[in-house]
Amino acid sequence: MAVPVIMPRQGQSVETCVITKWFKEKGDSVEEGDILFSYETDKAAFDEEAKDSGTLLDIFYKEGDEVPVLSTVAVIGEEGESTEKFKTTVPEETLEKEQAQTPDTNQTIETPETTSTKETIETTETLKISPRAKKLAEQKGVNYMKLKGTGPGGRIIERDIRKALEKQLVITPLARKKMEKEHLAVPPEKAASGERVTSRDLVEASAVPAAEGAYHEEPLTRMRKLIADSMFRSLQNAAQLTHHISADARKIQALRKKVKPLAEAGQLPNITLNDMVSYALVRALVKHPEINGHFLGESVRIFHHIHLGVAVDTKRGLMVPVIRDADLLTLNGLSIRMKELAAECQAGSINPDLLLPENASFTLTNLGAFGIEYFTPVLNLPQMGILGVNTIRYQPAQLEDGGFGFIPRIGLSLTYDHRAIDGAPASRFLQTVVKEIENFNPQIEKL
Amino acid sequence: MPKKLFIDPKKVRKPGKIIFGEIPVNQYQKTLAEEKDHYTREELLDIYRDMLIIREFETMLNRIKTTNEYEGISYNHPGPAHLSIGQEAAAVGMAWLLGPEDYIFGSHRSHGEILAKGMSAIRKLKDNMLLDTMKNYMEGATLKVVEQEQHPDVHDLALDFLLYGTLAEIFAKKTGFNKGLGGSMHAFFPPFGIYPNNAIVGGSGDIGVGAALYKKVNRKSGIVVVNIGDASMGCGPVWEGISFATMDQFKTLWDEPYRGGLPLIFNFMNNQYGMGGQTSGETMGYGILARVGAGINPEMMHAERIDGYNPLAVIDAFRRKKKILEEKNGPVLLDTLTYRYSGHSPSDASTYRTKEEIEAWMEQDSLKFFESEMEKNGMVTAGEIKTLRKEITERLKKILKWAVDDSLSPRMDLNGNPDEIGELMFSNGSVEKMEDREPEVLIPKEENPRLQQLKRKERFALDKNGKPFSKLKTYQLRDGIFEAILDRFYKDPTLVAYGEENRDWGGAFAVYRGLTEALPYHRLFNTSISEGAIVGTAIGYAMCGGRVIPEIMYCDFLGRAGDEVFNQMPKWQAMSGQILKMPVVLRVSVGSKYGAQHSQDWTSLVAHIPGLKVVFPATPYDAKGLMNAALQGTDPVVFFESQRIYDVGEYFHPGGVPEDYYEIPIGQPDIKRKGKDLTILSVGATLYRALEAADILKEKYNLAAEVIDARSLVPFDYSLVLESVRKTGKIVITGDATERGSYLKDMAQSVADLAFDDLDAPPVVVASRNWITPAHELEHFFFPQPDWIVDAVHERIMPLEGHKVKSNYTNDNLLLQKRKGI
Repeated sequence: MAVPVIMPRQGQSVETCVITKWFKEKGDSVEEGDILFSYETDKAAFDEEAKDSGTLLDIFYKEGDEVPVLSTVAVIGEEGESTEKFKTTVPEETLEKEQAQTPDTNQTIETPETTSTKETIETTETLKISPRAKKLAEQKGVNYMKLKGTGPGGRIIERDIRKALEKQLVITPLARKKMEKEHLAVPPEKAASGERVTSRDLVEASAVPAAEGAYHEEPLTRMRKLIADSMFRSLQNAAQLTHHISADARKIQALRKKVKPLAEAGQLPNITLNDMVSYALVRALVKHPEINGHFLGESVRIFHHIHLGVAVDTKRGLMVPVIRDADLLTLNGLSIRMKELAAECQAGSINPDLLLPENASFTLTNLGAFGIEYFTPVLNLPQMGILGVNTIRYQPAQLEDGGFGFIPRIGLSLTYDHRAIDGAPASRFLQTVVKEIENFNPQIEKL
Repeated sequence: MPKKLFIDPKKVRKPGKIIFGEIPVNQYQKTLAEEKDHYTREELLDIYRDMLIIREFETMLNRIKTTNEYEGISYNHPGPAHLSIGQEAAAVGMAWLLGPEDYIFGSHRSHGEILAKGMSAIRKLKDNMLLDTMKNYMEGATLKVVEQEQHPDVHDLALDFLLYGTLAEIFAKKTGFNKGLGGSMHAFFPPFGIYPNNAIVGGSGDIGVGAALYKKVNRKSGIVVVNIGDASMGCGPVWEGISFATMDQFKTLWDEPYRGGLPLIFNFMNNQYGMGGQTSGETMGYGILARVGAGINPEMMHAERIDGYNPLAVIDAFRRKKKILEEKNGPVLLDTLTYRYSGHSPSDASTYRTKEEIEAWMEQDSLKFFESEMEKNGMVTAGEIKTLRKEITERLKKILKWAVDDSLSPRMDLNGNPDEIGELMFSNGSVEKMEDREPEVLIPKEENPRLQQLKRKERFALDKNGKPFSKLKTYQLRDGIFEAILDRFYKDPTLVAYGEENRDWGGAFAVYRGLTEALPYHRLFNTSISEGAIVGTAIGYAMCGGRVIPEIMYCDFLGRAGDEVFNQMPKWQAMSGQILKMPVVLRVSVGSKYGAQHSQDWTSLVAHIPGLKVVFPATPYDAKGLMNAALQGTDPVVFFESQRIYDVGEYFHPGGVPEDYYEIPIGQPDIKRKGKDLTILSVGATLYRALEAADILKEKYNLAAEVIDARSLVPFDYSLVLESVRKTGKIVITGDATERGSYLKDMAQSVADLAFDDLDAPPVVVASRNWITPAHELEHFFFPQPDWIVDAVHERIMPLEGHKVKSNYTNDNLLLQKRKGI
């Protein structure tokens, strides 16, 4: 069956793209993964790969054409198939629809991990649930999103919800009857055992906390749902593992000590330890370009500059804005940009395009302030690496004078995608980060 | 097939020939001078004035239709107006001798007849009778408008009342004779003996026969005149009406004093055109319409052509024919020759006839002719004529002014009461008998042989051990219907029942066995094979105040009574503004074993038509209770029965079918088996297959199905079904109707609509295939079977573990069938 080749949408604010080059001609046979054409937005250039194999039946836009996103650019199918029906796509309408789903900036801000709209639609389409089952699920607090429906065509029906409700609790009919009649209840330890509950197991209802009122349900915010989905997808779709290491923090601590009064006096930006680690990380990334980019399945996309995603905790949840071209910034500049973005995230005025994981090449996340000693950050796909920064701990070490003492060491946890990078190069990269921290010596210009 | 009529082969096989007698054509040739002694001057002036009023009334409507104006009064009437300009003498002559007790039925072109009959009746009624009639009619709503003006006397007031009531009705005003719901083609006024006109050509052809039957059976005075057009001679219902009206049994088998022909005149108002078709010479073959009478019965229906352009010729004929009817030698066929100058309707450009022809008839115009005859004989002067004409114009101006005034003559306020018409669709009466007198029966009810036999039967199907009694010992569904009908025959003296095998045989399905012994001929009889007339006459019978059970044997024969069932029976209560009631219980039987034209469940067809109540009981208890309710009511009920289950016993009602009288309200479904997992709603005999399906679901899949028997289709109270669906979340709706467009689908849609949030799957319909009904041996591929229901549950509601389907309820198959139209 003939399938359309769609002009992808690169960023929420992108409405059109220009085709810069066709690599295939009408009538060529194409294999899934072949590059069909390259195109660019006002910000970036991309290649579009074939997502299906077959013959390139028709091309609707030529090189140099400006194409509305999501319109059909070409058709792949079997030779002889008609492409007529693809000619009448109505990109304007699609655009409107897409925009309607993100009606104002505020809402867009809540989508740092932007799952593309297409995927959201697919989720609702594949989830089939009867009105009755849905009502019951909502009443009883059953999460039906992951249930497998046993109704016609996989529809979730009442019995599926009931089954989910009773999964851990198989109660004999007699016991159930007794429960209703004599106000008895299943003791929690029995319920937790997963064993069959018989009438002998029942106890006075007052002896167990009432099932209802023991908890309450809070619906997820849109943002929480998006974070949940993107985290889950990340862990499902990448081969991620984490290396832990620590770096001698004496130098950066000393620097911080020097900076602090000057910052308070307004002579310097308030350069924090996090800023310094970020700066060190950027330097390390410049030296290890192989980890600065995206893993795309069939290829890796290596960025020529460092676009550093920085995790920010906001009251709405986690946001990860990107500092574009961080390698071009001085420590001062980086520090200032870092604070600007954090403030915008808190205020909710951040440019949504800056929140797209596709727009960052590597991410930094810092839980040191919470005293966290180790953690395993989750990749911000399609990026290949994320560096977690931990707390500073004093550890015994041989000092320069040959004696032993305690020195402050800052913990670093690097999660990387093993599909793209092996353990040794990842470790080497981590060593570079350590080195950059331990030999930290950037220029600081007074304001 | 009465035994006393011996068909002697020696006699009927003898050679011979039929000799027809003569049929008079325009034999009346008297001049006014010759008739002087038979009419007073006042009477002749009245005849003239009546014709003038009709001419002016129709002229006024013609002006309004074509110019939106009459005598300076503007009005736009978008509705119909089939005018009878030219036919006045025929109308006035027809009505002249008739009294209020004589009924006329009309056609779409009957304004003239309404006015003529009304004026004739007014002339014959005393002041106090007239006043009472006008005051009581629709609580005086029509009179109130007319009364605003001072009238010299009651008869003058009554004339305004007649003209205004008719015109307001034509203009769809609430103060019209039928609340504006009848309109031009259906206006009527029973107190003056004016019964419904009919917009379906020949529609009165069988309804009027029913009115004559009513008069005969209930020994009411008066005759019935059916005024229909010449072209209606081509309509089936007219022929069926004639066949029914001329059945030999009236003169041979009915007992005294009922013996004899019907008091009925088929008066063909022969204006020689059916729309643009010329009946004589083009669209019919009779040459002269009166000829048809010769073929009908030995009396040749006393047929005659009369000159409808001479009012005295028409009066003469009616005088002679009335006498024939009084002698019980009816019915009569009259071919009243006339001509209309106006077109079929104002939109008719008369392209089918020449100007010369119209002018030739105008030359002989009945009004002109009568006027000059009167003048010639010194009965009226030119001055008097002028004054009379002016007075009539002034009167009509006044009437028109009232009728177009929306404050005086408002239309129904459907903003204020959106259901006002809806509330007129059914009268919902509860009336034991339509008339209070002793019913005529042959034996006391208790002595009825069948009733005595029934006393020995088991009124519950199962014995103490839950074992069914033998069929012979069991009180069956057909017995339930019989008991209810027998009971009503002893309560309501007006009740009659007839159909194709009602007497002697006892009905093709033995429902009426035992009735022949109980009832005289005029209350239970066989009819010609005329389903249209069987239903049509019942409509006329009920309109006049009787209660009736027409029976047409197989449901499949409903098509033969299409106009009667779809256009007449359901409509007249509302079209009359509920002046008329329609206590007709039409029995139809859904067949099986007899193939494509004898095995169809057409409940959906009648349920679709507004104004019919529809029931389909499936148990003896329900059949008796619903028949009792139908016979106690005042609405038309189509009573479906199933031949598959006439012999079924009562399995549900504890204690069995009560011997005493009880009613089951029409519209209430009934739970036949309780359950919690799934609802099955069944219509008619499919109940038993639904129960079998419930057994399978229980035994194989441990699902408790709740089985609800719809019992009624219209009206239908959904609350019980919705309550069940709230519990189960799942519903299968099943019945024997073919699937596409069936009422089962309507029920499914209503449940989806009203219980959407409770549903675990869309309501599923398991109906018959969209095929012809095959032979009995193949019927189980056609009618819903228990395993179809289980398959549908599995495929469309909740897959059943380990279930293997036999039928195909997949989406793909449904789509394919829709695509193929099967």
